[in-house]
Amino acid sequence: MWQKLTSTEGGRGLLLISPPFFYALVLLAVPLGAIVLFSFWTQDFMNLDTTFTLNNYREIVEKPIYGALLQRSLYVSASVTLVTVLLAFPVAYFVSFHVRPERKSLWLFLITIPFWTSYLIRVFLWKVILGYNGVINSGLMKIGLIDEPLTFILYNVNAVIITLAHAFAPFAILPIFVALEKIDRSLLEASQDLGESKLMTFLRVTLPLSMPGLVAAVLIVFIPTIGDYVTPELMGGAGGKLIANMIQTQFLALNNAPLGAALAVVAMISVTAISLAFVLLNIRWLKGRS
Amino acid sequence: MTALITLKGVNKYYGDYHALRDIDLTINAGEFFSLLGPSGCGKTTLLRTIAGFEGVSDGVVTIGSKDMANVPANLRPTNMVFQSYAIFPHLSVGENVAFGLRKRSDLTRDAKAALVDEALAMVGLDGYGKRAAHALSGGQRQRVALARALILKPKVLLLDEPLSALDKKMREQMQVELIKLQRHVGITFILVTHDQEEALVMSDRIAVMFEGRIGQLDDPETLYRRPKSRKVAEFIGKMNFLPAEVRAVAETIDLDVAGLGQVSVSFEQAPEGMDTGPAVAGIRPETLAVLFEGETTDRMLVDGVVDEVVYYGDMTYYDVRIAGVDKPLNIAMKNLIGRPVLDVGARTQVVWDARSLVVLR
Repeated sequence: MWQKLTSTEGGRGLLLISPPFFYALVLLAVPLGAIVLFSFWTQDFMNLDTTFTLNNYREIVEKPIYGALLQRSLYVSASVTLVTVLLAFPVAYFVSFHVRPERKSLWLFLITIPFWTSYLIRVFLWKVILGYNGVINSGLMKIGLIDEPLTFILYNVNAVIITLAHAFAPFAILPIFVALEKIDRSLLEASQDLGESKLMTFLRVTLPLSMPGLVAAVLIVFIPTIGDYVTPELMGGAGGKLIANMIQTQFLALNNAPLGAALAVVAMISVTAISLAFVLLNIRWLKGRS
Repeated sequence: MTALITLKGVNKYYGDYHALRDIDLTINAGEFFSLLGPSGCGKTTLLRTIAGFEGVSDGVVTIGSKDMANVPANLRPTNMVFQSYAIFPHLSVGENVAFGLRKRSDLTRDAKAALVDEALAMVGLDGYGKRAAHALSGGQRQRVALARALILKPKVLLLDEPLSALDKKMREQMQVELIKLQRHVGITFILVTHDQEEALVMSDRIAVMFEGRIGQLDDPETLYRRPKSRKVAEFIGKMNFLPAEVRAVAETIDLDVAGLGQVSVSFEQAPEGMDTGPAVAGIRPETLAVLFEGETTDRMLVDGVVDEVVYYGDMTYYDVRIAGVDKPLNIAMKNLIGRPVLDVGARTQVVWDARSLVVLR
């Protein structure tokens, strides 16, 4: 057996991937399986009732709060994705097309600088900026644009979107940058040579060819933001809580792990369905590259 | 012949680098014109100034008597076949060819489709319209690039080393096809190449460029037979160079050539303004001959010893040492029936003719 594993190329490949495969199995597949399993059980005060039931899912469908929270989560994720990708594209475009080649790595390095600070500290930083007596409010009041502090910028959904969009910006910039870098510059000249202006060249050549990067950026931002519960907890106030906060509450405060698990499964399925639909919509830009 | 493109005093700087130096050039309508030179000589830069991708630092470019100074690339009556072909990978072959037709609002969808089919047929790609562009071979990509440019009926087609990415067989085939295509459509072609053979085969006229300057502009035959400078003579084909001394310039140019003796040549065989003094005599390997046993000639003869033999099948290249010259003469001989291949060290006679000499400074 060992002989076979080390002598053939396929066997050596299996041998090489087995440690990370085992690692992924233990840390990803098993917990995921446990969550799915839990979602079909029920909590009976202190005891777990392990008889198979769909009651958790029935409750999620019947009680409007869960649907509303899921909807708000999807809305926040979609908004964060939109804002992040729209802001990231010009940055990636600038670095790819207008920065001298020898300076590009410096720029990418600068873009990752926010990661040097803990995410929690960056969230608190946004609190300082957006707060009632924060940088924006006191600044605007000093120059006389407003008489009393704006209240719609902290402790609501907007604050969550702003904070998350900032946090995920590098994740969106990098894949778009890579896609733009891969575009053969002679294609842009060819488009101009064939009579198209710079704007039309962007729309007909640059944008379609950067779609793989855009799709990757959308997925990289959209999928994890659904599960984020730190930002809504700290920035969302009462009206800015999302589905992840509810899952946390079910698991910890309400001691109802099965319902929390069912909520997690529902959220996961929603994200998967939306992501797959998005990929399928863009499939023609993603296949057939030389 | 009417002039289509004129460049007057064109200079181009990249920072301190002087890429084009005082280019004066006229290219005629319907001509197959080549820019030939080693890499870095400025030939591609010159092509890109005509296309509008590079501005000029100084001087005037006109196309069809219109000054191109403020005309961007997308509004110039030129189309280009790029070295990399620049086929859009996200579009099909047909969409690639139709790319430039978007603004032609005078054409219906069907008329555009008919034009695309016609253009594809012209380059021998009938029925390829639906194929994905990235699945094409190098030769097919090149044809798509040609069809995409020619469908717009430009005044000038610019070709930037279009054959350099193809293998030898394909390249020779495409050379012939390009010549036929150019005669068929009657559009002015400007070809950039570093391959002297390609330029000689395809062009009506060739401008040889060195270090941002045009070294010589002539038709292929004149360029090959009467190069006006040593640089051009060295770049195009092979040539033997012999030290010489010009004795007199009168009705003919009289000179002493090392190894060959006293020679008189006509003025055509020398650059303008040739004066007495040291010079170089050039002679092509195929205009020399080794005299085999039993052959006779009424041309000039000089004794020599075979120094090196390189056998090519159809040809044999000899290096023959003659008295008074350091470097042996390179001689190209066709392997005709009955001709032996001489051995190294064999004594022989070299046949030469003053008419095939060029005198260079």
